[in-house]
Amino acid sequence: MLSFLYARQSGLDDPVRLRRAESTRRVLSLELNHNRDVARVHGNGINTLDIEVIDGRYMLSGGSDGVIVIYDLENNSKKLQYSCKTICTVGRSSRHVHKFSVETVQWYPHDTGMFVSSSFDKTMKVWDTETLKPAEEFQFDGNVYCHHMSPVARKHSLIAVGTKDPKVQLCDLKSGSRIHILQGHRGEILSVRWSPRYEHILATASTDSRVRVWDVRRASGSLFTLDQQNGDKSKASSEAVNTAHNGRANGLCFTADGLHLLTTGTDDRMRLWNSATGENTLVNYGKVVNESRKGLKFTVSRGCSPEFVFVPCGTSVAVYGLHSGELITMLRGHYNNVDCCEFHPDYQEVYSGGKDCNILAWVPVLRQPDIEDEENNSKRGGTQAAVNPAFEDAWSSDEG
Amino acid sequence: MSRKRALIADTFCLKRRRSAADAVAGDSHAEGAADIRSSLQNLMTLFSRKLFNDSLPPVVLKHQLYSLHSDRTSVDKQLNELRASGELLMFQLGFDSEAFALVFAEDYRAKVLQGEAGRETLETVEKFLDKLIPGCSDLSFNKEKMLKEFLFTDSEITQLVKSGVLTVRDAGSWWLSIPNSGKFIKYFIKGRKAVLGMVKKSKYSEILKTELEGRRTTSHVKFQMKYHIHDIVGAELVECIQTTSGTVLRYVDGNIN
Repeated sequence: MLSFLYARQSGLDDPVRLRRAESTRRVLSLELNHNRDVARVHGNGINTLDIEVIDGRYMLSGGSDGVIVIYDLENNSKKLQYSCKTICTVGRSSRHVHKFSVETVQWYPHDTGMFVSSSFDKTMKVWDTETLKPAEEFQFDGNVYCHHMSPVARKHSLIAVGTKDPKVQLCDLKSGSRIHILQGHRGEILSVRWSPRYEHILATASTDSRVRVWDVRRASGSLFTLDQQNGDKSKASSEAVNTAHNGRANGLCFTADGLHLLTTGTDDRMRLWNSATGENTLVNYGKVVNESRKGLKFTVSRGCSPEFVFVPCGTSVAVYGLHSGELITMLRGHYNNVDCCEFHPDYQEVYSGGKDCNILAWVPVLRQPDIEDEENNSKRGGTQAAVNPAFEDAWSSDEG
Repeated sequence: MSRKRALIADTFCLKRRRSAADAVAGDSHAEGAADIRSSLQNLMTLFSRKLFNDSLPPVVLKHQLYSLHSDRTSVDKQLNELRASGELLMFQLGFDSEAFALVFAEDYRAKVLQGEAGRETLETVEKFLDKLIPGCSDLSFNKEKMLKEFLFTDSEITQLVKSGVLTVRDAGSWWLSIPNSGKFIKYFIKGRKAVLGMVKKSKYSEILKTELEGRRTTSHVKFQMKYHIHDIVGAELVECIQTTSGTVLRYVDGNIN
């Protein structure tokens, strides 16, 4: 670490290098910390989490009881022990609360004055954060599984909505119209995601095992369908030709630079695709247990040198290396199934919520001071032992 | 715990290791391919030939390699290289869309011709093998390809299906297959179910790997125990946990088998 600092100071290394190395080290040491807690408000499972992009301070959560809660993640008290407080909630007593479970919540990408929530009561509501009243409500014919607003859009303010209907609907926030429809899927749409790189590119995943990538400016159908065999028709059985997964495709996540797309499916596989060509990069993550009947919400780290994927797998969160495909670790701590997880890019923390009504904060472990002492000792040639030989014994070890 | 420390050490030791790494990188590629080949040969020795009266070449399943090597992506890459060079053939077995069988090309050729000796389909099969082995690494063929690229007639295709080298996939397309492999698949599935049952019935649904290897097998299990263990570990039907007494195999819930 000191060598990195010195290299940055003297100009040998790019400043980004130190930042990436330290971010990676922090992500690799994620752990449950008894000093960090999130207030427990939900009475039923938590389906979705979203951290706002501007400050990284406020987090939204939506639960199976229809309740939406806003938390303040920043620790302004001078104490080490901090429990993330709720700022406000749209509880069961509110007149405008969703009748059934809230499936997706998302902050408005440009400021925290507004957020959008969609639920199984077939509505999508646009809320004003100040008054906690819906400014706009969109009605649909079937359960709304997911929605997403583009984080980089300047020219449009479309919300892509995935419902039980095979048609992907685009709702315009400015005018309130919903006439734009994307046709092509043959099953329920379980997940929609805009690309973080191009504001017109949208990816959708559906129960017909297909993942399609669209350009919303185009009048005709999708740009391409992701094919797990990369066009090699010989490998799959004839029904499985041109599909992204051998089961329902239920999770989508773009990497932070928008160049790659990750998809998960109920065939217990996760695949990494090149988002420009639709080619399967064939990274093998092994069995990623997935039994979700709705969409799966997972996330990718940002700003680390080998990027990491955090996927809810049963009652724990699995951390995989993005391009290597190896399982780094499993974050265990929930008592029941984990439904969603979010990565906080500034502090390299992961928040995960699940059916046990808890939101757990996984915080990087602070540096231990004795590791540096060991390094100094080895540099000096080990002349000074850290422990007096009289107190050393044969059976205890200093490894944890 | 120690794995995380090793990863963290990697990130921060980048500078010191840079010069050493460059020298090593060139050799590791060639070593990698040889590595997979030797693992394949080891696994092939576990295959019981006598069971099928020597009519089948030694067959290994792709996911058995995953239990020997930790990096699945590099295993896949190396297998594709071997297939492209014509040394290895891959087949889609019917029972699982992810289960692929691997056979060395010379073994396959030898056994198929041995099986065909004396029959009238011998010539067609030889012609097919000649077209297949050096160039083509497909798992299935459709009618266009057979007629136009390979220049086979309909009657020749029927002969190939009769000899067992092709199996029907759907109207107008065929899977590449191993002749007489039906018995193999039947014994394999039965054996896999029996071994998984043994793990499931143990106390807490877990058993030490060495203990499982030593257990007496029922008549349902025809292959060697190690062959089945590599299979269930590689297909992630059981979880492999390292303990102080060795490797423990724990049955994973939610399996259909």
